[in-house]
Amino acid sequence: MTSAPLAPPVPAREAAAPALGRRPPARRRRERPTGLRISRIVSRVLIAAVLVMQVYPFLWLLQTSLRDREDFAAANPFSIPTQLTLDNFSRAFEQGHLLRSILNSLIITGGACLLLVVCGMAGAYAIAVLGFRFSGLVRGLFLLGIVVPVQVALVPLFIDYSRIGMLDTHLSVMIPLAGFALPMALYLFLSFYSYIPRELYEAATLDGAGPYRIFARITLPMSWNTVVTVVMVNAIFIWNDFVFANTFILSEELKTIPLGLQDYVGAMGNTDWTATFAAVSITVTPLLLVFLVLNRAMIYGLESGASKG
Amino acid sequence: MLPHRSRLSVLVFLAPPLLLFGGGVLLPIVQSLVLSFFEWDGITGLDFVGLENYRALLLHDDVFRTAFGNQLVYLVICLLLQVGGGLLVATLLMTITRGREVLKVLYLMPAVISTPAIALLFQRIYSFEPEGLVNTLLGAVGLDALARPWLSDVSTVLTAVSVPEGWRFLGLYTVILYAALLSVPRELEEAASLDGANAWQVFARIRFPHIMPVFVTTLIMATTYALRGFDIPFLLTNGGPGQASELVTTYMYKTAFTSGHYGSASAISVIIVLECLVAVGLILLVLRRKAD
Amino acid sequence: MKRKQFLALAAGTASLPLVAACGGSSGGAASTAAAVDGEIEPRAISWLLSRPANGPVIEIMTALAEDYAAEHDGFSLKLITTPDRPSYIQKYETLAAANELPELFDTDATPFAAKLNSAGRMIDVEDLLTQLGVLEDFRPAALDYQRFDDGSLRMIPLEFGVELFWYNKGLFEEAGVEVPTTLDELTSACEALAATGATPIAVGGQDAWPLERYVAYQPFRIAGPDYVTKLKSADAAFADEPGAASAAWLAKLGEVGAFQQGFSSVGYADAQALFTSGKAAIYNMGTWELPNLATSALPEAMREQIGFFTLPVTDGSVTGADEFVAPSGIGVAVNAQTYDPLVRDFLAFVLERYPAEYAKSGLLGPTGIDPVVPEDALPIYQEAIGVAAELGEATLMPWDTQLDPATNSRLQQELVLLVQGDVTPEQFLSTMDEALTTNAPKYFED
Repeated sequence: MTSAPLAPPVPAREAAAPALGRRPPARRRRERPTGLRISRIVSRVLIAAVLVMQVYPFLWLLQTSLRDREDFAAANPFSIPTQLTLDNFSRAFEQGHLLRSILNSLIITGGACLLLVVCGMAGAYAIAVLGFRFSGLVRGLFLLGIVVPVQVALVPLFIDYSRIGMLDTHLSVMIPLAGFALPMALYLFLSFYSYIPRELYEAATLDGAGPYRIFARITLPMSWNTVVTVVMVNAIFIWNDFVFANTFILSEELKTIPLGLQDYVGAMGNTDWTATFAAVSITVTPLLLVFLVLNRAMIYGLESGASKG
Repeated sequence: MLPHRSRLSVLVFLAPPLLLFGGGVLLPIVQSLVLSFFEWDGITGLDFVGLENYRALLLHDDVFRTAFGNQLVYLVICLLLQVGGGLLVATLLMTITRGREVLKVLYLMPAVISTPAIALLFQRIYSFEPEGLVNTLLGAVGLDALARPWLSDVSTVLTAVSVPEGWRFLGLYTVILYAALLSVPRELEEAASLDGANAWQVFARIRFPHIMPVFVTTLIMATTYALRGFDIPFLLTNGGPGQASELVTTYMYKTAFTSGHYGSASAISVIIVLECLVAVGLILLVLRRKAD
Repeated sequence: MKRKQFLALAAGTASLPLVAACGGSSGGAASTAAAVDGEIEPRAISWLLSRPANGPVIEIMTALAEDYAAEHDGFSLKLITTPDRPSYIQKYETLAAANELPELFDTDATPFAAKLNSAGRMIDVEDLLTQLGVLEDFRPAALDYQRFDDGSLRMIPLEFGVELFWYNKGLFEEAGVEVPTTLDELTSACEALAATGATPIAVGGQDAWPLERYVAYQPFRIAGPDYVTKLKSADAAFADEPGAASAAWLAKLGEVGAFQQGFSSVGYADAQALFTSGKAAIYNMGTWELPNLATSALPEAMREQIGFFTLPVTDGSVTGADEFVAPSGIGVAVNAQTYDPLVRDFLAFVLERYPAEYAKSGLLGPTGIDPVVPEDALPIYQEAIGVAAELGEATLMPWDTQLDPATNSRLQQELVLLVQGDVTPEQFLSTMDEALTTNAPKYFED
């Protein structure tokens, strides 16, 4: 990836801008088809290039997970393996607790996302729609959270949790994950709610609807696109979280995927990489599936939203 | 503001987020802020030292200074790749009609792969012995002279650890910006094209202003994530060689959990917060001025 | 006390007088002696550990805990496993800061552990082992490795190993070099090896400790184990003769291209592969890797080629050729705050049975029992084990367990620069002395 994207062809722009509308239409029509064809080819090539860049690592991962352990150690890691084996997968299942880790990751990601969406929606509704005297202050307080590095909270939170006996629970990981993601979610909801026309609320109020009913009838149904966006963005970060899980989870039974991958670390750090990759290939799948489903929902929501104006 | 709102209803909606945020974020932050005025090793008692931690960091700590500069470079590279690259790819996606949804999911793939796997992949991509992908490709086009151990060379390592982070979330920002681009009314674009605007003009005059709010959000998001970026550099080089790829965040982590200087680490995190605030303030200021 | 105080402070209730009042030890007047009276009341106990999830230590301890639970209803041993060392350290320090360390916890004899010890949070293991009548069973070297500077013993070793220089006979022959007996010969051997196009030494620089071993070699030979003991409290300087010689030697090693290019980002497994695939000539590694290096797990082409030598000496070396790094791995400390008859009884049960079980794993154990050599072992397996029986008195303590953590992490970073030639030995020494004088006095003052 280069940094070229935002650099426009400056001379073309300067030449074209003043001439806009003065140029004879005939000439323009002659130029456009060829220009279009070239730009279309260029854009397809670029799209394909980006595709290779983004997908190749996953293919490499799969290929490595099918590679014999010694072959991986000795041969060029980017060459095509001479023979494929499923050994790594059996080792991955034997030495780790993959299904348990996946389940824990699903619980934590699901729980944190739920917490995040409920709190984000409710907070944005209170601030942007209901409004109250210090709403500006509260908004500022939340937005401050966007900029806080998570590592800072580790030791204080650990001490707090140990005091109230909440260490080593799913909840102890969900709370900070959702908490630190909340400002960004709130921000997204706030900016979305500012697009909902006031007249809708006014009409509903005239019909005698109270704040709860308005939320349920108007705001909530219109929020689905934003919900999907919030979930998609945050699920990635929550799914991959290592720091909080490593700090607050102590039991084997509660380990998430990033923690579980350490089962393949051997003496003094000698890691069974091919088994690790087999495990990664397996654990990536649930999230990818969720994405495929959500992605359709998001597109559908966005396009219908856009066409309604 | 809704006329029929009651104090209770505001409270009902506001309580859950305030509880979550207060308990999960604000409380530890305040505790950390307090801690930044103390010296504490986690075992023996707390010693109040006032602003000494800050003074030592800002005036006497060469590693901190290096890390600060590195973090800015890291930020620029991440922004170029994520927001710049994301916008370009999103625009490209607009030019095709089929397969966009599948493409988007495929673009997101690097984001869902666990960080340790990404780190290991890049360690091999940059590797010199055995020869990694970058060096192989350079050799293939006759640029052998440029081949080097990218992660061990002090002049290339910072870029080398920044690129994976930028690349990894390219798809995420593409998806967000693409969704915004989709919401640009077609009629406006078509009208502009009929008026003779070329593709760039359509982009600069119609599309970009229209997606500005989303773009700002994306920019803020990417900036704050980059200023807090941590795991890939930590796993790839642990800040080395020397301090060539040390970031403020990795330095903070080490100060707390390797060196056991919790007070000093808290002071670093307070500085990171300030740094992020300034960055976000600058973004908003520049863009607002531009908008006026 | 300290924890509550911190929380009170953090909550904003200014309690500065409390801070001033808190000078002494925390956690009450916990006795650190191993004697304890009372009934054994079975309960669940935990062990924070950093060992491979499927390694012999965990397997044996889990099995023994099950046996013990069969006799003591209500007992269970809960493992808190974090095999990755940096993540482990983070967890360990967080638990310590929150005063939540479990009944048993793994730790090296680091300055951090020494602080925990002086805060009265560890049981005297020497006393415990004596009372249980097993102290004599342990190898002296295994116990010494766990001792703090004042000679006190607070950790139980569960492993043991000697660190050897494995080498590839074929590559040595090709370069026409003999097995080096002095550290200077090692340099010239590397130079000759590099000239043939081979990588002289494979080192996993990503983990930092393998390279850090090398900085300790010259000082250990020139001045013995005392140098680092003085150095860490800044009573000696890096610029003193042993340190300066070490810096010069490392710079020279770097200059002749002793380590593979880009070593600083090469991981443990990759460095080993470099050696076992026959690309690198020397690999400095402990006997815990015997199953990978000296059995049929080794690629066939290497089986005839592999040999080992021990740490070379120097002219006028104060330590002997039979004295080098012989670590007993990370040790198990016993938390004084949760110590009770049950913990003691469980340890008695375990320590009686562990050595024999561990010997079956084929690895050198912390006691004198000879390991059962696996069937697929190469002849060199037995030879390597034999080295452990002939160790001298002095032990080389790895510097990463000695220096204060801030100086140590700086050293790990600067070493890479030194070997890569990015800084001169002089710059290296002055940077390190500055880091040492800034950090060490603060860390060791209490």
